[in-house]
Amino acid sequence: MSKSKLSPEARMLSTVISGQRSQFRSLADAWMTTGATSLSVWANGSRLAAWPKGTEEITPSMKAPIRLNGGDVGELWVEGIGTPAAEKTLIANAGFISRLARMEKELMGMTERLIDTQDQLLAVYGLTEATRNHLEMDDLLKQLAKTATGLVGCESAFLLLKNPDDSLNIEHYPEVRLDEELIQSCLTKVSGTKSELLLNLSETEYSRAGLRNLLFTPIIIRDEVSAAIGLINKKDQDFGSPDIKLVRVIAEHAGSRMEHLILFQESIEQSKLQVEADLAKKVQLRLLPTTFPQVEGVDLWAGSEPASQVGGDYYAFVSNPGRPFTFCVGDVSGKGMPAALLMAMSRTVMRTKTNVNPTPTPEVILDECNSELYDDFTEVSMFATVFVGQYHHEDRKLMYGNAGHSPVVFCPFDGEPILLEADGTALGVLPTSLAQDQSLTFRKNDVLVVMTDGFSEASNHDDEFFGYDRLLTVIKMLAKKPAKDIFDGLYETIKNFSAGRPQDDDQTMIVIKGT
Amino acid sequence: MEIKSHEAGDIIVMELEGRFDAYSAPKANEWLEEVMTNRKPPNVIVNLENVVFVDSTALATLVQAMKRCRQLDGDLRLSNLKQPVRMIFELTRLDRAFEIFNLEEEAVGAFAA
Repeated sequence: MSKSKLSPEARMLSTVISGQRSQFRSLADAWMTTGATSLSVWANGSRLAAWPKGTEEITPSMKAPIRLNGGDVGELWVEGIGTPAAEKTLIANAGFISRLARMEKELMGMTERLIDTQDQLLAVYGLTEATRNHLEMDDLLKQLAKTATGLVGCESAFLLLKNPDDSLNIEHYPEVRLDEELIQSCLTKVSGTKSELLLNLSETEYSRAGLRNLLFTPIIIRDEVSAAIGLINKKDQDFGSPDIKLVRVIAEHAGSRMEHLILFQESIEQSKLQVEADLAKKVQLRLLPTTFPQVEGVDLWAGSEPASQVGGDYYAFVSNPGRPFTFCVGDVSGKGMPAALLMAMSRTVMRTKTNVNPTPTPEVILDECNSELYDDFTEVSMFATVFVGQYHHEDRKLMYGNAGHSPVVFCPFDGEPILLEADGTALGVLPTSLAQDQSLTFRKNDVLVVMTDGFSEASNHDDEFFGYDRLLTVIKMLAKKPAKDIFDGLYETIKNFSAGRPQDDDQTMIVIKGT
Repeated sequence: MEIKSHEAGDIIVMELEGRFDAYSAPKANEWLEEVMTNRKPPNVIVNLENVVFVDSTALATLVQAMKRCRQLDGDLRLSNLKQPVRMIFELTRLDRAFEIFNLEEEAVGAFAA
């Protein structure tokens, strides 16, 4: 009888005999010395082995059952002896063979598990190799589906990933076998249970399309069922427990690959944003003058430092032959990109109005800018404080208009510094600007410092503002120096005051000194 | 920052506490948006008695709400400003844009007038 027709238990018994052949022979020899004529092992009515060699016909005088897991799997026969003592010995021998069979079964189980583990390791290795170079999610999903088809031995597979808007990204291999509706309903089911779903499709409408079975396994990404793998038609049979185990391993690995790719794509997005922000900063810095016009009668210096990547502060100079030198400092409320965009707009409008208007006094410039920008400011809920100054050298007059801007400090060479307070509201607050032209005499060594509140509101470790009083004192101390030194001295003093605290607001300053 | 409110006839009074700055402004803005959506006309008094500091984002929030209220035939008025806060309104000349009252009752009275 060929081995293949034996039951699995009988096959195991046969394996035990072939593995322990010399021991069985010794056992048979022992029986021969007690007068037996043969010893044989039987299963399912067939003889698995018999001793001595060449034994043909056997008429057993005693039989003892060989048991495994509570059931009889075979018998041990002895011929030619039948005493009660011999029967006891035979039963003991059969019990011994049973134990051998049990150990053999355990060994086979362990081997099977070892092979499973090795298969899984190979699967992971295969997946890693197959997917390592895929940087697009669609490609990765398709490759995972292809590799899973080969590893599990099924006709086709699909991988799906839930997009942030809950739509599904599905990739099939080698072709589409299942409609999205069924896939969606499977996903809904496994999202709750978080375990695989095994569907027999042979009695359903899908059988017409040749579908027999589907193993649908959830993939957990960031603690949620965000993806899944579906395997269709296990070749020649149904999906069994080794397949389920293998697919779990594939799902786990696929999840980690997908998560890596998502992270990778997110970091690329981040980098893109960073590059754009860097570019915005560069553009914005280019909008601020880095070289200053030579203006008869004044020495000037200016600078600006945004608190975040881009800021809402700006300063500008307009110096045209035959027209008074005009300068302005603006502070758009808020920070970041919206403030920066409005800053660029305000600056352009301010320069255009100054260049185009035949008599661009500060009041006219501010009023026209307000009219031009009011709707835009209202639209985005922002406003801008602006100081516009204009120096007329012929009569050493400084005209200015102040739309809600502070601090502006005027320090006459022979007197105490004073704040030039605003008379108009910031641009964008009211439909008409209330700022009016003001003027003062700007003599040799008089100093004007126009700053944004990022300086006066710089705070120290006790949350105390630098404030106006300190500002006036420091300006008074520095007023004898050239414009650049006044600028640097103020900047340093305020920086030291905030002692390493991060800068909360943009800081911009123009220093003008009469020469 | 904590936001409390109470009604005075057709007027709703918003009471703010602490620092009114870029961090607390979105919450105040949300509250104001809701009032402006649900009250016709939106007559609002912002009582700043317990506000110790306002920054430019806070000012922008109040300016925006004031403009919206006026568009909707209501108004947003301020009362009980502490000295440092009043100074900021004066320096930026927003005192010329807002109606500012020493006491909440005066603001309520002015709405009735």
